[in-house]
Amino acid sequence: MNVEGLDTSILAPAFVAGLIVLMTHIPLGHEVLRRGIIFIDIAVAQIAGLGVIIAYTLGWEEHGSESQIAAVISALLGAWVLSSLEKKYGKHQEALIGTSFILASTGGILLLANNPHGGEHLKELLVGQILWVEWKQLLYAAVISLLVLFVWARFRSRIGSLGFYLLFAIAVTVSVQLVGVYLVFTSLIVPALATTGYSARSWPGLSVLIGISGYASGLILSALLDLPSGAVIVWTIVVSALLAKLVIPLKAR
Amino acid sequence: MRARSSITFAVVVFVSFFPGVALATLNVFACEPEWAALVKELGGDRVEVYSATTARQDPHQIQARPSLIAKARKADLLVCTGAELEIGWLPLLLRKAGNARIQVGQAGHFLASEYIDMLEVPDKLDRSLGDIHASGNPHVHTDPRNILRVADPLNQRLKAVDPDHADSYQQGYRAFKAKWQDAIDNWSQRAAVVQGENIIVHHDYWSYFIHWLGLNKVATLEPVIGVSPSTRHLAQVKQLLEKQPAVMIVDTSYLNDRPVMWLSDQTDLPVVTLPATVDYHSGETLQEWFEQLVVLIREPVK
Repeated sequence: MNVEGLDTSILAPAFVAGLIVLMTHIPLGHEVLRRGIIFIDIAVAQIAGLGVIIAYTLGWEEHGSESQIAAVISALLGAWVLSSLEKKYGKHQEALIGTSFILASTGGILLLANNPHGGEHLKELLVGQILWVEWKQLLYAAVISLLVLFVWARFRSRIGSLGFYLLFAIAVTVSVQLVGVYLVFTSLIVPALATTGYSARSWPGLSVLIGISGYASGLILSALLDLPSGAVIVWTIVVSALLAKLVIPLKAR
Repeated sequence: MRARSSITFAVVVFVSFFPGVALATLNVFACEPEWAALVKELGGDRVEVYSATTARQDPHQIQARPSLIAKARKADLLVCTGAELEIGWLPLLLRKAGNARIQVGQAGHFLASEYIDMLEVPDKLDRSLGDIHASGNPHVHTDPRNILRVADPLNQRLKAVDPDHADSYQQGYRAFKAKWQDAIDNWSQRAAVVQGENIIVHHDYWSYFIHWLGLNKVATLEPVIGVSPSTRHLAQVKQLLEKQPAVMIVDTSYLNDRPVMWLSDQTDLPVVTLPATVDYHSGETLQEWFEQLVVLIREPVK
């Protein structure tokens, strides 16, 4: 047991980061599951990462706003390509998403191959660790996530498939920098998966409850047990989802 | 006598419950175990040392845990390698900790590499070559003479941040210096058998060690960790080996050993896996670690 890490000024920004991620990922996750394109988040994050590496090899700055722009542009391009592929080869979409993930990730390796030492950390630039987040970073992420949520809530029926892919690309690029790929995947898929079959009235609230209790208990556990926070939260979100399934039987949906 | 020892016992119990209050120890946050061990050598009981990484861990990368930030927050002195070794996490940690005493430029911020003649500093800063190690090879602790070079300014720094106990640090430093110089003489003599021998290294981790013992590095197997070398590079390594036969392949304990096992299989060369640093967490001392290095490196030659 380690009580020292149990300090709200250490844990609070991380918890708020979790809330921001949940805000967009719960509704989008529901849609992702409906479309059956579960690995889209990982593919988009990897494509954003590839964008940063390309920008770096072209001589852009590796830190700050330039790499943000590179990440968002490439994520949007990737989303556009994936959305066009879905229109043409819909039934193979999951296989195409997997292939684009592998291409983006090995593309990065090839670009950095003749770069002794250089760029090892570039791959990590886009993979945040939840404990390192800072308040000012959260402000920017919160604003973008609110915009994404607003557009999704208001214009969902009008933006079509391409609109969904583009919104999704923005949400993932922002959140993967805050909390990393593992937590993005978990926040997107697990609450949605746990609440499939529940009515439109009850799934949003229940998903939020699963997400919040997962982040809160994960952060506290990681402080007490002195374990890496991101990995612990993945497990506590899954445990919360299982508990929710047990406590709230399907007939009460 | 009896009463006295029970009073002592009571004090010890009391003190161990309120370490920060009763015994004004200096809190030191070390990025790597080697510096934690060195601070402990100089400071003894005066210092409470925490090492952010273990001997079995790549110091380039670190997983964020709440206790890490808590330790940085209460530290009076931070001792790290510098030379961009911790660039992936230390700036973030310093910002998160918000502890004014250990920020860059403060007395509580000590970087060992600033006191070392760095090896492998690139002649020109070419972006195409990447700029991560612009300050040279950061693994300075693998040469015991460097440990001594760092010990002196570290002693000065301990005295500066904790002037009340300056005498104690000075004593610790003197004792360490005497012991260490003898040890270096002993190791240098015993390791003289490997001088001038050709070796292959897995990654450029042991450059200072190689420099100290006068070994001759023929090739580096994996220039970028985790990225398999190209087939051309492997062919070059094998060609080089034909021209300059080596006696062993030197590996680092925390790296994946598959590339060296492959080369060993191809060439029948023995693999020597050296522990990357002192295992401070299980109580090993710097001297015991270097002793182990010397024993291991002599193995294939003697």
